Amino acid sequence: MSDYDSYRAAARAWLQSMASEFGKEARRGLSEEQDLALGRRYLAKRYDAGYGGIHLPVEFGGRGLSHVEKLIFDIEEMGFGMPIVYFSISLGMPVPIIIRFVEDREWVRERVVKALRGEEIWCQLFSEPAGGSDLAGLRTRAEPDGDGWKVNGQKLWTSWAQYADYGIMVARTDPTVPKHKGLTYFWVNMHAPGVKVRPIKLAEGGHDVNEVFLDDVRLEDAQRMSPVGGGFGVAMATLMIERYAATDSNGFGPSLDNLVELARGLEINGKPALQDGRVRSAVARNHAMRAGLDSITTRAMLSMQAGKEPGPEGALNKLFSVRSRQKLSEFAIDLQGEKGVSFDPDGLFTEDWTTSWIAAPTGRIAGGADEMLLNTIAEKILGLPQDHRPDKGIPFNQIPA
Amino acid sequence: MSFLYDDGHMAIATESRRVLDARMNKDRLLKLLEQVGHYDEPFWQTAIEQGWTALAIPEEHGGLGLRLIELGLVAQATGAHTAGAPFLTVGYGAARGLLHGTDESLKEEWLPQLASGEKIATVALADASAPLPSASSVRFENGMLTGTKNAVVGGLRADVALVWAQHGEEPALFLVDLSQAARNPVNSFDNSRLYADLVFDGTPARLVADGTARQIALETLAAMAVVSAHEQLGGAEELLMMARDYALTRRAFGQPIGAFQSIKHKIAELYGLVELARANCIHAAASEGRENYLLAAADARIAATEAYDTAARDCTQIHGGIGVTWEQGLHLHMRRARSLAIEQGNLMFWEDLLVEQMTGVAA
Repeated sequence: MSDYDSYRAAARAWLQSMASEFGKEARRGLSEEQDLALGRRYLAKRYDAGYGGIHLPVEFGGRGLSHVEKLIFDIEEMGFGMPIVYFSISLGMPVPIIIRFVEDREWVRERVVKALRGEEIWCQLFSEPAGGSDLAGLRTRAEPDGDGWKVNGQKLWTSWAQYADYGIMVARTDPTVPKHKGLTYFWVNMHAPGVKVRPIKLAEGGHDVNEVFLDDVRLEDAQRMSPVGGGFGVAMATLMIERYAATDSNGFGPSLDNLVELARGLEINGKPALQDGRVRSAVARNHAMRAGLDSITTRAMLSMQAGKEPGPEGALNKLFSVRSRQKLSEFAIDLQGEKGVSFDPDGLFTEDWTTSWIAAPTGRIAGGADEMLLNTIAEKILGLPQDHRPDKGIPFNQIPA
Repeated sequence: MSFLYDDGHMAIATESRRVLDARMNKDRLLKLLEQVGHYDEPFWQTAIEQGWTALAIPEEHGGLGLRLIELGLVAQATGAHTAGAPFLTVGYGAARGLLHGTDESLKEEWLPQLASGEKIATVALADASAPLPSASSVRFENGMLTGTKNAVVGGLRADVALVWAQHGEEPALFLVDLSQAARNPVNSFDNSRLYADLVFDGTPARLVADGTARQIALETLAAMAVVSAHEQLGGAEELLMMARDYALTRRAFGQPIGAFQSIKHKIAELYGLVELARANCIHAAASEGRENYLLAAADARIAATEAYDTAARDCTQIHGGIGVTWEQGLHLHMRRARSLAIEQGNLMFWEDLLVEQMTGVAA
């Protein structure tokens, strides 16, 4: 057994020992507040067991292992349905990025440990009403204020901001230069005066995302994480961290086995649904797609284990898996005929096709819309030209609104 | 099972590609389209000279003892060039069928000749539209075959064929010397595939495998489908690169057409299909002889067929008018995408097989 195999086995054993207390069955019927509290307790146990901050440096409270162990653990953990969603952004991007870009090491260590234990949560204040896919189009202003900064503006789609203690933020410090060049990167105390968070109810009924209003929020210059005007580079570094994130060929929806089990109990034209050519075709096509993504993921892991950079094809995962999950969820609802209209408000999107279906559009937009992912593949991997950008090189304050 | 290609694999991939880049000729292939009964002899000579016919045959039978992974890499290079002879896949299939059969004298007689390229073999499993029928209309009685196998790939030139024919209650696998069978040419949209109706009328045949014949036939079909899938992958990848290169150089409305999202997204989607096909091909080739091999073969076949068909369609569309000219030759890929999609079992067959393997429910 390789070291990675034994790491996986140990992780799985620990997760199994936690499942009855924190897993999906334990969470059924909990309110969000109760679920979050359960999640905080789980993170504390996870940290004490040595599975918090697996790939983060030891001097910041991490375990100092590689991305491979981190991915192994994340993939194993995914199957248990633990209450970790509130911490996924916090630990995914802000925590690694403050380790890289905040100078006060003692303060960083304290934040990292508290975040890893679930005691503090970080959010990512990037998107705005005027800039989502076009991040550099953001309008939130940070202006010099004595020896610090004063921030005014509005952020949007900020995941879990309602529970966040801190945030990382990009703001415009110079509107007289082209848009990418006038941005600066900061961290923000979400409890500071002038920060107001308003949850947004989404089509699926949840309210994971928020509007964040920033009204004369005072920042010290020590909260600046990039050179003045150098914020876009740090923002890109933040988004690049995601290339090591665990993926799921189910598109974070139900498995194909789940669809097969559903179909086993159903008939079409008086015959078992699984004998219907349309059902067989849908199952087979999705199987081939998911098996391909799984093989890409396996090879990426093998590359990393061999000390090599994984291939660029990992960029396909979200695009293909979530888009097809949306269509397959429609298909699963169709398959049930009129019974398909029923809706379980407590349904999990990894197990229930209706819940999966209604949440799927969010998945296709959040964290890189399909169209942006296609642009990235076309430009970064295939070397195709950028789109025509009429605002290119024009000072931000002269771009027609 | 997925794995990373090692340096040896990469050498096979680059060397086979280098040889074909130097020796293949599009005009030669275009001429073959309008002739029935001819194949690209320079290509086949290259295949023999490079040892590709021997590649996946065991050393004790005169081969090089490599596996589906290596043959797949060569097939990928031939697919990129729409190579003008079909024997790499079916020759391997026939050898594999013999190897898993029970008649040692057949192995001794034929495998070294197939490995050296002295003799050419094909495989005739299908009846009409059924890639591997549960009962065959071709019958074996008193040492002889009677009946017709339609549109057998390579049938016009092969010396010998592995045939799926009725033996009492069940079909079995037979080896037939085609010098004693009639071959009726089939004029097709991809004539270097050498399709022929093979007519047996009391043609002597030898039993290759009886009792476990269906399993051997199915695994042989799967192995050929995996080789075909690599060939499809090679073609799809070539078309992806052609589409990319054309979109970078062709200008319209003051910019390269690749700057328009309708074009660049089409190419990015194609990249996705090609990589899914590649991932499934690697997985399938490495899964030979393991659990879930048939499932992996079906995944590879489905993904590669979708990739090559889509690539042929979209690359032609991206080229506009020039893409539909005879001379430019994109139709070589368009034709090959369809002929390969039919040979070794169509999509419906593999979809059904996949679901049966996955759920236990037959169509």
